[in-house]
Amino acid sequence: MSIGREEVLHVARLAELDVPPGDVEGLVAQISRIVDYVAQLNQVPAGEHALAFQAGPPAVTLGEDTPGAVPLVRGPESFAPEFRDGLFLVPRLGAMEGE
Amino acid sequence: MIGVAEQAKRVQGGKVSAADAARETAERLKLAEARGLNATLHWTDEMLTAEGRRVDALRAKGAALPLAGVPVALKDNIVTTDAPTTCASRILAGYMSPYDATVTTRLRDAGALIAAKSNLDEFAMGSSTEHSAFGRVLHPLDPDRVPGGSSGGSAALVAAGVVPAALGSETGGSVRQPASFCGIVGVKPTYGRVSRFGLVAFGSSLDCVSVFGRTVDDAARVLEVISGHDLRDATTVDAPVSPVLATPGSLRGLRIGLPTEYFPADLDAGVRAGVDRAAAALKALGAELVPVSLPHTAYAVPTYYVLAPAEAASNLARFDGARYGARRIGPAGDLPSLYRATRGEGFGPEVRRRILVGTYVLSAGYYDAYYAKAQQVRNLIAADFTRAFGTGGVDLLLTPTTPTPAFRAGEKTADPVSMYLADIFVSAVSLAGLPALSLPSGRSEGLPVGAQIIAPAFGEGRMLAVAAALESAIDGTAEVR
Repeated sequence: MSIGREEVLHVARLAELDVPPGDVEGLVAQISRIVDYVAQLNQVPAGEHALAFQAGPPAVTLGEDTPGAVPLVRGPESFAPEFRDGLFLVPRLGAMEGE
Repeated sequence: MIGVAEQAKRVQGGKVSAADAARETAERLKLAEARGLNATLHWTDEMLTAEGRRVDALRAKGAALPLAGVPVALKDNIVTTDAPTTCASRILAGYMSPYDATVTTRLRDAGALIAAKSNLDEFAMGSSTEHSAFGRVLHPLDPDRVPGGSSGGSAALVAAGVVPAALGSETGGSVRQPASFCGIVGVKPTYGRVSRFGLVAFGSSLDCVSVFGRTVDDAARVLEVISGHDLRDATTVDAPVSPVLATPGSLRGLRIGLPTEYFPADLDAGVRAGVDRAAAALKALGAELVPVSLPHTAYAVPTYYVLAPAEAASNLARFDGARYGARRIGPAGDLPSLYRATRGEGFGPEVRRRILVGTYVLSAGYYDAYYAKAQQVRNLIAADFTRAFGTGGVDLLLTPTTPTPAFRAGEKTADPVSMYLADIFVSAVSLAGLPALSLPSGRSEGLPVGAQIIAPAFGEGRMLAVAAALESAIDGTAEVR
């Protein structure tokens, strides 16, 4: 196993993800298998200065730096259950306790 | 099943109303449900009736509607305002989007009927549509087999004749692979050709809304409608959209490359026979077949399974119980505990696995060894294609789409790497951001096999025209072994 139980639990904490105790051993085996598999990339001769990939053709890498907001699909009032006088209405703090 | 062009002509010309088309679609959806395909996650008679009325009203105003009354299913990771969007995950059960995706709006504006939200692998992570929180999708020709994935619901609906076209999404082959398994056409456009606004993000540098059709023409007509620049997606390109081209009678002067790495010795005999048949037909049409090499092909799957989980770990951080869908309060009763409990219970096993792998390869101790290295290898994979299509090179590439026909349900679920290798011939194209399609090339012991055509960036027009010529030249349902 290239990855141990403690390492998987540490990564789960980083990912803010509860892992049921009964699933840990299975995850250790599966993640080790995946990590061992992808480690073959280290055999590829790509110098340390090799370029990283940028998604899409060069023309789409960056949009124009044009000021101004992208218009909303609909008015802001339709994006919240309650809206009044240009403001979203939200529950008072504490009102959602026990939910 | 009537094709896209014919259906649009019938409705636009007033031969049938869109309301009638909606009723016919509802009947076919009911039959698919009765067969137990489990291909849909949401549709209702009311939703379809409203769609029919809407399109009839547009037609009455004299609008030109290239997809008038054409029913199109959407993979349930494309947001719609009139139906829930769940990504086949418990964490998003019942979630209603406050806006339509750009592709949804463009389909509606073109007169299409949004027919159903289709089943998928949870958050589009999978190659078999067995990883849905709402049950697996059955292969329309053999219920013991998988339809492929992750867009298996959309593929099954098209293959079963419920709709002539459907949208899926590709991050690493999730439309071409199920198209091949189900014996239909699946088209992945160039990254940047179609807006991702309203497509729930998985791997943002890879995600592409893609199209299924019963025929090349069906898929091409839908792709034309959804393509084009969108202010809401900065990676879309402001370039002319390929119109649907006439099928060429001859391919004389066209150079088509056959990459040696895509024809390994252990390639399934039926798959090989299907591609050999496609190659022979292209040659008979006048194309020149040229052996080429894409030397980094073997590294595409491991590269993909570093980069896609890394991007997924980041993108799926937003599903934390505070803003979307389900919420669980953890034992500590505080906010971090709410995040952990909601995510731990809400995500299924494959999504949890990928989030953990993605977090691991992005963590400080391993970032250079895995993530940075994979980014470099991705560049080498893209450079292979650039060389093949470069000066004096080929115009298109022809390969098998998958290494085998559809596999049996449960056959690969115990070993994630074995499942990942089902995408071995489709993931390199996704990493390079290129357009490609899968076309039925025959059947092997009754199961469909597909041939893949790959084009240079923004070369969809020629790719689709050549595919249409090939489609006319071979019977995609004939036995090849």
